[in-house]
Amino acid sequence: MKHHVTNREYWRSLEELADGPEIRGQIEKEFPGYDPEEIVALSRRSFMRLMGASLAMAGVTLSGCRRWPEEKLAPYTVTPKGRLPGVTEQYASIMELGGVSRPLLVTSFDGRPIKIEGNPSHPFSWTVEGKIGSADAMAQASVLELYDPDRSREVVYRTIEEPRVTNWESFRQALDAQLMKLRGTGGAGLAILSETTTSPTTLRLKARLLEAMPGAKWYEYEALSNDNETAGARTAFGQPLRTQLHLDKTAVVVSFDADLLGTHPAHTRYAADWSSRRRSADEGQMIRLYMAESCLSITGTVADVRLASKPSRIGLLLAALAAKLGVSGVAAPALSKEEETFIAAAASDLQNSGKLGAVAVGAHLAPQLHHLGHAINEKLGAIGSTVSLFSVPGDDRPTHLESISAFVSDAQAGRINTLIVFGGNPVYDAPADLSIVKAIAAVPMSVRLGLYEDETSLRCTWHVPRSHYLESWGDGRAWDGTVSVQQPMIEPLYDGKSVNEILALLIGEKVIDGDSLVRQTFAAMLPGGTEFEEKYRTILHDGLQSDSAAEMVSPQLLPGAHFSFPDSAPGSFEVRYQQSLGCYDGRFANSGWLQEMPDPITKMTWDNPAYLSKKDADDLDVETGDMVTLTLPGGSMDLPVYVLPGQPIGVIGLVLGYGRTCSGNIGNEIGFNVYPLRTIGTFFAADGVTATKAHKSYSLAMTQNHYLIDALGFEEREERTGGKFESGKLIHETTLVDFKADTNLFHRNTDGSMSLKQLFNPPMQFNDPHAWGMAVDMNSCIGCNACVIACQAENNIPIVGKEQVMRNRQMHWIRIDRYFKGEPEDPNIEVVYQPLMCQHCENAPCEQVCPVAATVHDSEGLNTMVYNRCIGTRYCSNNCPYKVRRFNYLDWQSKDPRGWAKPWLNIPDTQQREMVDKIKRMVFNPDVTVRMRGVMEKCTYCVQRIHGVQIAKGNIDVADSQNNPAARKINDGDIITACQQACPTQAIVFGDLNDPAAKVTQLQKNNRAYPILSELNTRPRTWYLAKVRNPADESEQPA
Amino acid sequence: MDTTLLTSPAALEGLFAEARAQAAVIAATHDADNTSDDPRVRMPLVVGGKDFTSLTETIASVAEHPVPLGWYIGMAISLSLLGVLGLCVNYLILTGVGVWGNNQPVGWGFGIVNFVFWVGIGHAGTLISAILFLFRQNWRTGINRFAEAMTIFAVVCAGMFPGIHVGRAWMAYYMFPIPNQMQMWPNFRSPLIWDVFAVGTYATVSLLFWYVGMVPDLATFRDRSKGKIRQFIYGIFALGWNGSSRHWHRYERAYLLLAALATPLVLSVHSVVSFDFATAQLPGWHATIFPPYFVAGAIFGGFAMVLCLAIPAREFFGLKDIITKRHLDNMGKILLATGMMVGYSYLTEAFIAWYGGNPTEQFTFRNRAFGPYAWAYWTMMWCNVIAPQFLWSSKLRKNLAVLFIVAMFANIGMWFERFVIIVTTLTRDFLPSSWHSFTPTWVDLGTLAGSFGLFFTLFLLFCRFLPMVAMAEVKSVMPQAHAHGSHGLADAHRSDYRPDEHTNPDYDAPRGGGTLTSP
Repeated sequence: MKHHVTNREYWRSLEELADGPEIRGQIEKEFPGYDPEEIVALSRRSFMRLMGASLAMAGVTLSGCRRWPEEKLAPYTVTPKGRLPGVTEQYASIMELGGVSRPLLVTSFDGRPIKIEGNPSHPFSWTVEGKIGSADAMAQASVLELYDPDRSREVVYRTIEEPRVTNWESFRQALDAQLMKLRGTGGAGLAILSETTTSPTTLRLKARLLEAMPGAKWYEYEALSNDNETAGARTAFGQPLRTQLHLDKTAVVVSFDADLLGTHPAHTRYAADWSSRRRSADEGQMIRLYMAESCLSITGTVADVRLASKPSRIGLLLAALAAKLGVSGVAAPALSKEEETFIAAAASDLQNSGKLGAVAVGAHLAPQLHHLGHAINEKLGAIGSTVSLFSVPGDDRPTHLESISAFVSDAQAGRINTLIVFGGNPVYDAPADLSIVKAIAAVPMSVRLGLYEDETSLRCTWHVPRSHYLESWGDGRAWDGTVSVQQPMIEPLYDGKSVNEILALLIGEKVIDGDSLVRQTFAAMLPGGTEFEEKYRTILHDGLQSDSAAEMVSPQLLPGAHFSFPDSAPGSFEVRYQQSLGCYDGRFANSGWLQEMPDPITKMTWDNPAYLSKKDADDLDVETGDMVTLTLPGGSMDLPVYVLPGQPIGVIGLVLGYGRTCSGNIGNEIGFNVYPLRTIGTFFAADGVTATKAHKSYSLAMTQNHYLIDALGFEEREERTGGKFESGKLIHETTLVDFKADTNLFHRNTDGSMSLKQLFNPPMQFNDPHAWGMAVDMNSCIGCNACVIACQAENNIPIVGKEQVMRNRQMHWIRIDRYFKGEPEDPNIEVVYQPLMCQHCENAPCEQVCPVAATVHDSEGLNTMVYNRCIGTRYCSNNCPYKVRRFNYLDWQSKDPRGWAKPWLNIPDTQQREMVDKIKRMVFNPDVTVRMRGVMEKCTYCVQRIHGVQIAKGNIDVADSQNNPAARKINDGDIITACQQACPTQAIVFGDLNDPAAKVTQLQKNNRAYPILSELNTRPRTWYLAKVRNPADESEQPA
Repeated sequence: MDTTLLTSPAALEGLFAEARAQAAVIAATHDADNTSDDPRVRMPLVVGGKDFTSLTETIASVAEHPVPLGWYIGMAISLSLLGVLGLCVNYLILTGVGVWGNNQPVGWGFGIVNFVFWVGIGHAGTLISAILFLFRQNWRTGINRFAEAMTIFAVVCAGMFPGIHVGRAWMAYYMFPIPNQMQMWPNFRSPLIWDVFAVGTYATVSLLFWYVGMVPDLATFRDRSKGKIRQFIYGIFALGWNGSSRHWHRYERAYLLLAALATPLVLSVHSVVSFDFATAQLPGWHATIFPPYFVAGAIFGGFAMVLCLAIPAREFFGLKDIITKRHLDNMGKILLATGMMVGYSYLTEAFIAWYGGNPTEQFTFRNRAFGPYAWAYWTMMWCNVIAPQFLWSSKLRKNLAVLFIVAMFANIGMWFERFVIIVTTLTRDFLPSSWHSFTPTWVDLGTLAGSFGLFFTLFLLFCRFLPMVAMAEVKSVMPQAHAHGSHGLADAHRSDYRPDEHTNPDYDAPRGGGTLTSP
């Protein structure tokens, strides 16, 4: 019988669609007793009977349909005397990316993780500003990856003829047979190709494997790595060391292409430290950040002094600085006038700040530059002061490039007969000049453990599903070396296994469950007996092993170093590869949140065009959206152009991580895969590149400035935001010198015309019993998007897809407005970020125009949206001067973001109930309505969090609180909005304006605070703090 | 000048007689040029030698004889467009407003542009019926019926858009003040609610006005009907009219009252529609000139549409003797006058933007004229301000082709006016970060075209089945209506003369030499 497909049903394979007996058998095996016809054919009576019985059974067993993880977890806040259904619980965990763990706190609702935040208990989060629980966008979006329906669900065996879905049992049999052979040869011929990890358990199992099978080989590869930094430390100090800057103590930092605040593995911490030295502008002191870079990075956009430079010039600049500071073994190169000015200013500032200065070198730069950087820091006396060096176990290994090259040559030489690929995606991202595909094909048995059946899986004989980090036990080390445990939040949805579990299988361990493997590791590190259990539970609870951070070392610089830098091929373009801020190296390509997250600087979504400076674009006669043909030594490719102000002239920026072919429905064929251009020799940057106009165009989806702005609009935009180093009506900014001279400068009328004094008292104060308000500090905002994703996860915000972003219908409740200041031709452009969410105007223009009173004010100053009253006239959005309202033009939750919206013939508001994938809907926050199509929505100041705290406080027993009546009082900091929580720089502060001591009240009284568009008398509750820059100035010495 | 003319009653009478003779020739000539403004005589409003019988025959025959092929062709086109409308609206409601081109800053696009456009069209009918009636502009009788019909159909088109443009059309009834268990009322502060009332009242009163005025003519149709079905249907709608004096009396009173009721509505509806924009705070919308500016624009657009319908209709249905050149000439003059008012409003708006000193508003106006949508702005300026200037020339005004083209420009221009106001304002408001352009989709274009399908379907049905010209009213301005009516009044020869109930013969006496020289 042909199975009839309705458009509500998903099918997983053609076999299932055809409904053959084989697939019936499989379904029968997976869901015993499940008969699809029975459910469909159920009469009302039998349905009621079945439901009644189910509910009764659920009541009897108390565990009816729940999917509780059976393992023992230690809850973070609620004592485990009994779970409260409907009350979320938080668990500490980690996510490892590129061998560095990010400490996380996972919010779980009824057994399903729904939100990821940073772990404030982790020492890495302990900044001078307090314990900040911020996680970056990629970590926060990983919860969406967990519920990705495109993740691999089956063990697949691939023969030459065709792939065949099989099961774990047959995989184990095949593996056991192979291992029998391997054991006989001492493991010779076994190769592991893994992602980088610093997990103690994985390292322990690796050691055991290599011990059991000494002939086995272990290779590691990451497309983005910090190898050069370790290698540089090795040449400088004779040991592989990590560097950590202490920006909270630094007066002057000179960064050479090091994107400390954006892509560095420790960027959340760096951002927090840096922002504390920005906020101190109020005390007249600020860090000064010099940035010489070959792209426009997040760090570059907030640098006080920036120099756009070709990649090949970065080394010369560093050498020039070193020479100026008297580092031996380096000759001062010839610099241009502009470069000379930059280096002279940096050198004099560094000299004056002494050990409070620091130099940072980009992870992708050559080892000798890191060496030179260390030499400068040593010379300044910064090591031990603003720079610490430490060694993390696991870092002492061959570099990724060495390792992958060795793998390819070993495989091609036939030295490998069994290959296990743990994660990664080398077929997609390995250097183009290594024939990785041929290498894998040369291996008779190749096994891929992966979250997705991706490019690499297709080349291996076996694909086995990997469990997500939120589904499996593990451990890892943070950037500072602190050991943490990775706790599962949910049973593996698709029957995946972790790396540790497969390793244990390879070793032939008896116990192979992740929990026990991690316990064994900690059993070796912790005291035994009852004490162990207690300590281990503390580690689980806190999410870290206390005092396990790597120890600082103060090594001696090896003498006799000599540095020389070749000049680049003149007159041609250079290419600089950049990490995607959403997709990372491509592994997050199937995450809709990250694909639609606007790049902080370009505001680009769903694409990776080539970045060109205005001058180069003019020379090539191209504009944003035109295609160019790039010819590199490694190959040639057509790419669309994005004309990026601030892009160094002569440099083409290429973003990695796009153009996936096998990532899933979201990520396939999105953007352009530039890995085929990237060779070992040009792994980070390439020179001798030619670019020619391709006479084709391409549609790019940006959330700001979709179309090239005309001269009139450009002029007006500059008028409103202010020119370079000028304060504008919307963006207030000044320099530290001016601010110190006149701290009231932002309150002076500049044009004298727009300032309105209130002629009458507003009839309502909206302050009973609280007056919620917010302050956003533009001085510390780095545009990193952590808040955007936090808001998306917290508030069930859908993605809309590229076509819809091109129509400007993206739904983010918080957007980060990015303005460039200065001429587009100027490579040293100024950038300002202004996060904008609903301003909660006391005199809200949206409210008075809504014909059905669907948006109204509450007594505490919240501008609330009543979704089921809204009929969607969109008048509120038209009348909102901040344009922060978002309209559900289509049913975004039901719509395929890559396809067109289809008409829905059923009752309109039932679409989501029937259309949203059962797995995908598990990510929804149950405290927030999932909006139907046709209604308006917007930032609520996280009303669910406000009311959650209010209800919890209200529930505090009066009898209990008699001794302490203040127990029911809501204190400053009790309620934290999602964006505030995620913000690494604490630029967003929410609180009660009735409380004079509250941080938000203090901030709104700050001299830099102002409401935007206040001339419209909207009386917004969200205020902005002006930006203060600290440019190099002859008369001004750093504090 | 021969001053004896002024002193000699005989000479004076000679002059008048000459003019009367000319008028009589015009009255008897088919499609005569009766546009003359000779002060000695009023030109006949019905020409071609029509009497009551032939007038009735001319008008009723449209509905009684088999319609020409052209009607079927027109109907086929209209119905196809109506089908497109049905398709687009269904697709819209089943899928979401996202099938239109509306986007983040541009919350209102074609939907509201079309709404305001059609409401504007709907103004001329009631103006002609009510205000010109109260001002005793007898020439209105030739065109009022189908101008009113046009009003009703335009309001039907307009009324559709607010209903379908909302995100949840199935909940649009929330906008009506229906008592409910939630005790939820609409937000009476919102201009959209005022719209609901204003358009609702306007539609109701216009419909009643139209229908009441049609009752005597429906009775004529009933009486002439051959078939039973026709007789029955027209009979129902004729409300038992039998032409008795009492019926006429009641009818005249009701008509006068409805005219008085409808007159303020002509001004109020578009004023209220303009509040949708004027009460908002967007620069480019927030302007106090909007109510009169919108009313003038609506009358301008409405008359343009009447012209666009009347010129072909009189040709097609043989109504040249009833809708005469004089009617078209008069409407051309109104088009010119209201076009000037609209032009004045544009200039005032721009002047105030500059004079008001609000930089955001100044930018909005610069952006309209020189920004990405400058083409729409200049289209509007050309169509609404420049094109009507040709009508200063009476020669061009009397050229029907020119008149038709100018009226067509005015229709296009008025649509673009709403597009400029709504879309260009929304594309660039306060924060440059949220600026974005607007591109319509095929559904937008299909809905616009489809709304014309709805309009013309209704209009063609009206032409086929209902009296296109108010026969009873036209008859009352024909000389035959005053066959016995001189009653010694000197002005009785004036063909459009309708004496007031209490006339004072002294006032109507010719003020010739006698009066001047009397002691």
